[in-house]
Amino acid sequence: MRVEYINPFVSAAYSVLEMVLGIQPEKGQLAMRPGIFTTQQCSIVMGVTGKVEGSVIYGMSLATADKIASHMIGQPIRTFDALAASAIAELGNMITGNAAALLAEKGYTCDISPPSIIRGSNVKISTVNTPALVVPILLGEFGALEINVSLQERK
Amino acid sequence: MGKRILVTDDALFMRVTLKNILTQHGYEVAGEATNGREAIEMYKSLKPDLVTMDITMPEMDGISAVREIKKIDPNARIVMVTAMGQKNLVVEAIQAGAKDFIVKPFQPERVIESVQKLLGN
Repeated sequence: MRVEYINPFVSAAYSVLEMVLGIQPEKGQLAMRPGIFTTQQCSIVMGVTGKVEGSVIYGMSLATADKIASHMIGQPIRTFDALAASAIAELGNMITGNAAALLAEKGYTCDISPPSIIRGSNVKISTVNTPALVVPILLGEFGALEINVSLQERK
Repeated sequence: MGKRILVTDDALFMRVTLKNILTQHGYEVAGEATNGREAIEMYKSLKPDLVTMDITMPEMDGISAVREIKKIDPNARIVMVTAMGQKNLVVEAIQAGAKDFIVKPFQPERVIESVQKLLGN
């Protein structure tokens, strides 16, 4: 797992979150985990295939998911329904799609799979045992979004 | 009467967002398709004036759907609206027959500008 694989996701997250939420995101401390997992309450799970392949998980608290979904939909959400889940999934889709374009510019052409939303803490996604790089993105009043990237170059 | 538009996206949120933007500007959303295959079927039955098309969708992707719709109607006006902004996909979509390519996230004005340009009003 190379650091150069996570940078496009951080850049994409910055531009997407700035445009969607109207805030200036800030980057937290980069960390490495032996495998990809999330301790967050709400996770967007996406697959990447192509010259680099693996998984990307965007994790956040339920409160953050509610705030982001409310902002995207344009009105406060009463329950986390299908529309709210779809808004959160679309956020993951937009960040990953924009990151894929940046990866392609570096020669790593890849495709992404439609996102899945998982609600529940301590979810471990077992795919291949490649280490994951984790970057928290601080979103001001919205809370924080944790980006977990576990990609490897296709042999 | 407003021009009729078929919205294609697997994400409910995106269909609702596009529908709101379009209806607020006087367009009628004739139908909402959730994948490429549905878009082709709905294109045949609804004969919309314009189609918005996502790329990454289950069942059939948006670029394949553009090719099929263009076979049915070579004059079909299709605008890609997708999070996948790679150059190769833009080129592929335009070669398939798409008239414009909007990368998500977008400002509502970007969608309206594209639709107005293609529908001539």
